[in-house]
Amino acid sequence: MAIEWYVVLSSLIFAVGAMGILTRRSPIVILLCLELMLNAGNLALIAFSRMVGNQEGQVFALVVMVVAACEVVIGLGIIVAIFRRKLPLDVDELRELQG
Amino acid sequence: MIAAFHAPDIYYAGLSPVIALTVAICVVLLTAVFQPLRRTAPALTLIALATTAGLLIWQGGEEIDLVSGALRLDDLAIAISLIAVLSAAFAVLLSIREPAVEQAGSGEYHALLLGSVLGMALLAQAQNLVSLFVAIETLSIPLYILCATDLRRERSLEAGLKYLIIGSLGSATLLYGLAFLYGGSGSTDFAGIAAGIGQKGVTGDPLVLIGIALAAVGLAFKTSIAPFHQWTPDVYQGAPTPITGFMAVATKAAAFAVFVRFFDVALISEASEWQPALAVLAAASIVIGNVGALGQSSLKRLLGYSGIAQAGYILGGLVVASEAGVNALVFYLVAYAFMNFAAFAVVVARERETIYGDDIRAVQGLGAERPLLAWPLTISMLGLAGLPATAGFIGKLYLIEALVEGDYTWLAVFIAVGTMISLAYYLRVVAAMWMRPGGETSAAAPAIVGASPEADPIDPEAGRRMYLVAPALLAAAAVVIFGVIPQPLVEFAEHAGASLF
Repeated sequence: MAIEWYVVLSSLIFAVGAMGILTRRSPIVILLCLELMLNAGNLALIAFSRMVGNQEGQVFALVVMVVAACEVVIGLGIIVAIFRRKLPLDVDELRELQG
Repeated sequence: MIAAFHAPDIYYAGLSPVIALTVAICVVLLTAVFQPLRRTAPALTLIALATTAGLLIWQGGEEIDLVSGALRLDDLAIAISLIAVLSAAFAVLLSIREPAVEQAGSGEYHALLLGSVLGMALLAQAQNLVSLFVAIETLSIPLYILCATDLRRERSLEAGLKYLIIGSLGSATLLYGLAFLYGGSGSTDFAGIAAGIGQKGVTGDPLVLIGIALAAVGLAFKTSIAPFHQWTPDVYQGAPTPITGFMAVATKAAAFAVFVRFFDVALISEASEWQPALAVLAAASIVIGNVGALGQSSLKRLLGYSGIAQAGYILGGLVVASEAGVNALVFYLVAYAFMNFAAFAVVVARERETIYGDDIRAVQGLGAERPLLAWPLTISMLGLAGLPATAGFIGKLYLIEALVEGDYTWLAVFIAVGTMISLAYYLRVVAAMWMRPGGETSAAAPAIVGASPEADPIDPEAGRRMYLVAPALLAAAAVVIFGVIPQPLVEFAEHAGASLF
């Protein structure tokens, strides 16, 4: 099987994640989309690791999983803090700071 | 029978700064648990930072690979780590009596700050894709929390969430780019990547090019380079001010360190491909940052936009891919650090002293009322604008010199034009301080800005407190001293540049 299929699949997942972050409004769905983007990276790493023939990519993917878990924990923590303040859980409504 | 086992050789001396920071995180975090020790966290943090700085200086001049080549301790890493440690020390001083510290708990707050410094020290040393990614996340994740520590203020939580989303978007893009670079070169090591790309003998392998583009985008998010800068003013304004100062200086320094090491070591053979792209990003940052700052009334937003423009200037040092460029970049980072310390110390003091928060009205009449705060802010603004006799001027001079030598004269022209635009908003702050009457006399203006129910109690003596005035004065003095006698700082930067080429 050609490497292209894996790369194309991972780039599709990456694009879905990126689109989700840009268009969805719930911070929880945005966190899910971040996971999609990181896992697209993982898929690419593992596929390339197979192609190149060494294990460095697989090790990298394992490390990324740990980091992704940390990010989600912090994200959920902040979302809970926002929820407790009874602020709207909607990134469009959170606009006290205007760019 | 027990098989013979050879423990790996660990070069503890080279790892000592990182070890010191790690131990300090555990110790400071433990003070949060023991009631009688609660008040010691800031002091312990300062001691840990001083120890780390001492160890870094002790290791000065070392050039060695650590942890099987995952890290490289050289003068560039040491210089950038010292900037990070120094800015953390400033942040600790500015955090004294900060409401956010009470909210988050002193031990936790300072442990997170140290965690971020640890990430920066690792990032400055990283020379492997895995250690690069882990270090960038070690740096960022504590900062996401620190931005949101002022739990009572909606703005702080909003800033934390925004920074988390945008920061993670940047990290994910960076990771995807790193995956492609690994695919294109077959190695996660910077030297291995350079060799892998060189072996193919062609520039323009699509895997490598996609990887470079995505990795550059990811790092541009972290260094707030336009067009990936939109989060910067919002997060800078919403975060507790001491953390904003820390982020503005230390994050930028660490991210630029890895930017330089990654592009000038691993991807040097593709330089002709990425140089024009980065030059365009630098020019865009200079224009967008300077124009965006013109209309700002919040000092923190103004410093945010000014940081975007300054990031554009600094990126110029990387664009030329030469030793002179790296020297100029490190010099400018140090100068930028001192100029921002002075400015943020004054903003913190006025935020606590007046009802205007971080609005520009908070510094009106400062010249007559608090000359000891007005002078540091004036020097800082003039330095950021690049007026002679400040370190900012010398820094810009070196950057422009490096750009002209590296055949990027057009980018040097952008720096000059950007400097002219920037005078408009930097001088507006100076004018507000020296030429407008004080806030009390113009109290006819309704006290709306900071006076929401979330506002923090006002400390009318904040502008006289030594832990705010002394850092401001020291930083401003450094800006002037290095502007008049730049030689020591030039040598410091030249050591850093020489370690790469």
